[in-house]
Amino acid sequence: MKFLVVDDSATMRRIVINSLQRIGYNDTVEAGDGQEALAKFDASIGFVITDWNMPNMTGTEFTKVLRARADGRQIPVLMVTARSVKEDILTAMEAGVNNYIVKPFTPQVLKEKIDALLPAAAA
Amino acid sequence: MSDTRAQAAYHDSEAALRLVDKELDQLRETPAAAQRLIMVSLADLPQILERANSQIREVLTHLRETRQAIQSTTLDKIQTTHDKLKEVTSATEDAATNIMDACDRANQIVDELDAVDAAEVPDRQRATDLRATLRDELFMMMGALQFQDITSQQLTHASSMLIDMESRLADISKLFDSSISPDRPLASMRGAPDEKTYDPNATIRNAEQRQHLVDEIFTTVKAGAA
Repeated sequence: MKFLVVDDSATMRRIVINSLQRIGYNDTVEAGDGQEALAKFDASIGFVITDWNMPNMTGTEFTKVLRARADGRQIPVLMVTARSVKEDILTAMEAGVNNYIVKPFTPQVLKEKIDALLPAAAA
Repeated sequence: MSDTRAQAAYHDSEAALRLVDKELDQLRETPAAAQRLIMVSLADLPQILERANSQIREVLTHLRETRQAIQSTTLDKIQTTHDKLKEVTSATEDAATNIMDACDRANQIVDELDAVDAAEVPDRQRATDLRATLRDELFMMMGALQFQDITSQQLTHASSMLIDMESRLADISKLFDSSISPDRPLASMRGAPDEKTYDPNATIRNAEQRQHLVDEIFTTVKAGAA
């Protein structure tokens, strides 16, 4: 399973990638914003983890574009963001995000959310 | 000009009017020719001073309005900026403390590993457990560094508020004297931070409760959609 990790903070990308490695996922590709993520998205990607606040293209904008593509319609998208007001969560859901993690997060929460979404990815 | 200074100017102008009245009374007692000449040139003075007085009253009204505008637009922002910067300090300190605590625990584990190695018959299982705990501690240190992303967003928000206040204060200073130009470019001229790149409400606090709220909303909305 290859993970696409999208965040404008290099620190956060490293933390997410290290957390993924810790729970057994070593195949990752990273992007600094939604535009770069779209450029790097291909059939090899099985799971997307994206931040919300990023320059050029935000996580919700990226998810909407992804959902409009035939190859991005079914891919699990997990948002990892500092935003946590109700309106934001609903906006993310409308954009097509499958689940949502609030920063700062623990690897346990990341694992739970990935595990919950993986059957959907396999389906 | 402060409100107090404007009040003083207003009182001064009233005092000046009284002085002019007194001077005019005295002039009435001078010889007729001189009196006529002086009276002609001074005849308009009371009206001019009355007009000045009225203008000062208007200025005072504007000053009160301006003061209210400054209060409502900047004081709240200054307070929010102050709160954000305080939270950054606190988040940085918490993260540093957590990392130092983890370092202490890691050092202790290394000592314990040394003791296992030094034993006549090393306890391999104990060493394996200690290494796993050590990895947990190292990972905890890395997780604590998430504060960097959140405090960076808080600082960007604080910066955007300062730039906004600078721009508003520059507009207000132009009201008093439009010829004044800053001796260096304003930060607002270089552009405010991109709003897409930060969350004004970003916080490191109550992550567990906030995650709980997210989970509740997801569960409720999905149940409603099913």
